[in-house]
Amino acid sequence: MDQMFVNIKAALVGLSDKVFPDWVGVLVSIAVSIVAIALLGPLIMMYLTLIERKVVARMQNRIGPNRVGKYGLLQPLADGVKMLIKEDIVPRNADKVLHLLAPILIVAPALLVFAVLPFGRNMTAVDLNVGILFFAAISSIGTIGIFMAAWGSNNKFSVLGGMRSVAQMISYEIPMVMSVVPVLLAVGSLSTNAIVEAQADWHWFVFTPWGFLGCVIFFLCGVAECNRSPFDLAEAESEIIAGFHTEYSGMKFALFYMAEFMSAFTISGMTTTLFLGGWQGPLLPSWLWFFLKTYGLIFIMLWFRATLPRLRVDQLMALAWKFLLPLSLVNIVATCIWHFLSDEAFFTPAAFLVPLALLVFSYWGLMKLNQPYMPEKRVYPLVD
Amino acid sequence: MPQLEFLIKCGVYGLMGLGIIAAVGAVLLPNLFHAGLALAFVLVTIAGIFMSVGAEFLGMVQILLYVGGVMTLIIYTIMLTGRLGAKDVRAQNRQGIFAAIAAGFFVCWIGPLILKTGAWPQRESDSAPPLLSVEDLGMSLMTEYVFPFEVLGVLLFAVLIGAIVIARQDRPS
Amino acid sequence: MFFGLGILRGMNITLMNFIRSYTRKRGSGEIGALTTVQYPEERLPEKEKFRNFPFLIYDDKPEDLRCVACDICAQDCPPRCIYIVKETDEAGKPMKKPAVFDIDFTVCMNCGICEEVCPFDAIFMDHEFEIADSDRHDKLLYHRDDLLKTNEHFHKIRPNDGREVDTRLAEAKEAKAKKDEARKKAAEAKAAAKAKAEAEKATEAKEDKPPETEKESDPQ
Repeated sequence: MDQMFVNIKAALVGLSDKVFPDWVGVLVSIAVSIVAIALLGPLIMMYLTLIERKVVARMQNRIGPNRVGKYGLLQPLADGVKMLIKEDIVPRNADKVLHLLAPILIVAPALLVFAVLPFGRNMTAVDLNVGILFFAAISSIGTIGIFMAAWGSNNKFSVLGGMRSVAQMISYEIPMVMSVVPVLLAVGSLSTNAIVEAQADWHWFVFTPWGFLGCVIFFLCGVAECNRSPFDLAEAESEIIAGFHTEYSGMKFALFYMAEFMSAFTISGMTTTLFLGGWQGPLLPSWLWFFLKTYGLIFIMLWFRATLPRLRVDQLMALAWKFLLPLSLVNIVATCIWHFLSDEAFFTPAAFLVPLALLVFSYWGLMKLNQPYMPEKRVYPLVD
Repeated sequence: MPQLEFLIKCGVYGLMGLGIIAAVGAVLLPNLFHAGLALAFVLVTIAGIFMSVGAEFLGMVQILLYVGGVMTLIIYTIMLTGRLGAKDVRAQNRQGIFAAIAAGFFVCWIGPLILKTGAWPQRESDSAPPLLSVEDLGMSLMTEYVFPFEVLGVLLFAVLIGAIVIARQDRPS
Repeated sequence: MFFGLGILRGMNITLMNFIRSYTRKRGSGEIGALTTVQYPEERLPEKEKFRNFPFLIYDDKPEDLRCVACDICAQDCPPRCIYIVKETDEAGKPMKKPAVFDIDFTVCMNCGICEEVCPFDAIFMDHEFEIADSDRHDKLLYHRDDLLKTNEHFHKIRPNDGREVDTRLAEAKEAKAKKDEARKKAAEAKAAAKAKAEAEKATEAKEDKPPETEKESDPQ
C-alpha cells in the first residue's frame, strides 16, 4: 500500500523493457512521472476550488455548491466547461504576444515545483540535491509572468496590480528563504528527500522552538507569495478590479487561477516537507500522510481567507521587513544555539529552553519596536 | 545509452540556439520591455546549460539571483519609468561602434580559452573527480575566501544603508 | 496581550461557525447554524407586504373589471411601462373600460406607485415573481387578459389589505348609494319644485300674459 504508486511505475517500466530497448525504459520512466504530475496539478487545482468554496461557505453559515453532482463534486468540471466555452477577449491595444504568453509562463513554474515535492517514500519525481533552492528559484520566475500579464494588458489597473504583486513577492521571498535556512542548518542538505528522512521518529522540526517559528514564518510568507488572502493586495477588487488579470477571460483567466491554487498547494506541501515531517507518520501509507498534512495547511489558508480582512500596502511591507525578516534572522541564531546545546539529541531541556527564551524575547522586543503610533484618546471637556 | 545521450545533446544544442536567438532579441528589439524579457530568457537558458553539465547549484543560483532578483528589478524600473512604452521613444543609442570594439576584445580574450577546452561534452573519464558540492562551496567561502566574502558583505551593507538614506523622506525643518 | 491575539480570536469565531454548521440544525436560528434555504425545493413563507409585478383585479366575471381606463397609473408610472387604450362602443364613444391594458414586465421596476395612485382599487402588486422566460419581447409583455386575477386571489395573498379594500369599496358604494339617493331625492325635490314653480309660472303667465301662447302658436 505504501509503495503502491512506485510499484505501478516500476511495472510500467518493466513492461516497456520487455518489448523495447533499455533506453526507452528510461524515457518511459520520465514520461510516467511527467504525466502523473501534469495530471495531478490540474486535478488538485480543480478540487481545491471546490474545497475552498465549501469551507468558506461553511464558515459563513452557507452550504456552498451542492447542485452539480452529489455534494457538488462535479462542480469543477462544470466550471471548466464554462471557462472553455467563454469568449476569449484580447484588448485592442494589448501587446498580443505577451498577453498570450503570460498565463502559460505563470502556470509553468507552479507546475515545475511539483517535481521536487516528496509525495511519499520514494515518490519524489526528481530528487535534486538542490531541491529547496530549485523551489525558491522557480517560484521567483513567476514574477516575470505577472509582469508580462500586467504590461501586456495595456491597462492601468493591470500595471498597478502587477507592481503590487511583484513588490510583495520580492519582499516576502527574503524572510521565506531565511526561514528555510534553520532547516538546512539542522539537516545539512538541500535535498527535499534528505530533509524528510531527517525528520523520522517524530523528530518533526515543528516541535522545536525554532522549527515552530520557522514554520509560521515560512507559511505566512508562502501565503503572501501566492497572493492569497489576507495578502491579496495584487487582486484587491475594491481598489484595482482584479489586478494583473483584469483583462483576461475564459481559459486564460482559469490558468491564472490554476497557478494560484497550485502554488497554494506547493507552498503547503513545502511547509509539510520542511517542518511537519513530510510523509513521515505512523500506520497510514506515506503518501496519505503527506496529503493529510498538506490539506490541513490548505485548510488553514482557507481559514485565513474566511477570517482576515485585506492588509494595507504599508502594513504588508512593514510585516515583511520589520517583523518577519528580523525574526527569521534571530531564528537562525536560535537554531545554532539549539544545535550546539542539543549535542545530536533531538530533545534536551537546555536545548529546548534557551532558544525558546531567545525567540520569545526577540518576539516581544520586535513587537514593542513595531508598536504603531497610537494617539492619546481625545477628551472633549465641553461635552462631559 | 548513446540514444539518450543524443537526445540530451539535441536538447542542450536547442537550448543554446534559443539562448542565442533571445540574446540577439535582447539587443535588437525596439521595445525596451521586450528586450528586458528576452534578456531574462537568455539567463534562464544559461541556467539550463549549467544544469545540463551538472552544476545544478550554479544554475539555481543563476535563476534565483538573476531572473528572480536582478531582472525583476530591471523590468520594474522599465515599468516605473514614464512613457517608455510609447512608440516615439528611441530604445537604441548610437554607441554601436564602441560596443563592437569592446565585443571584439572580449572575443579575442575568451576565444583561445574556448578552443583550449576541447570537444563537448567531455567524456566521463575526464570529469572523474567529483564536481564541487554545495558543502565544499560553503566551506571554501568560510575558510579560503572569507576575506572577499566579508568585503562583499560590507559593500552590500553599505549599499543597503545608502538606499535607505536616499529613500528617506526629508523631514520638514 | 501579544501581537496576533486579535487574529486568533477572529479565527476562533470562524472555526466555531465552521464546526457548528455541521453540528447544529439547519434553519434553527442558533448561532453558527446554516441559514440557507434551498430555494426551488424549499421556500420562505411569503410576507404579506411583499410586492412584485402588478395585476388587474376583477370581482365576479372577467368582463367587469374594476379598471375604468382612467390612465392615471400609466401617467404616474416612473418607467412608463403601462399602456392603456379605452374601449369604444359602436358609436365610437369611449367607454369606462380598457380595450388594451399592457404592462411590459421587462421595464416594470416593482415600485407599486400604480397601486397607490389608482382611485378605483383596480391594480395591485402580486406575489408572483417566477416569470422568467427566454423570450423578452413577447412573453414578458403582459396583456389585459394575462393580468386579470380575481378578488379571491387578492384576498389569498394579502388578506389584511383585501379586507381593508373591500370595506373601503363597500363604504364607497354605500356612500354612493346614499348620495345617489340623496341626489335622486334632491332631483325629485328639485323637479317637484320646478314643476311647482312652472305650474305657478304657468298660472301666472296665464293670468299675466296670455298672448305668449298665442304668439307661439302664431307661426303654426
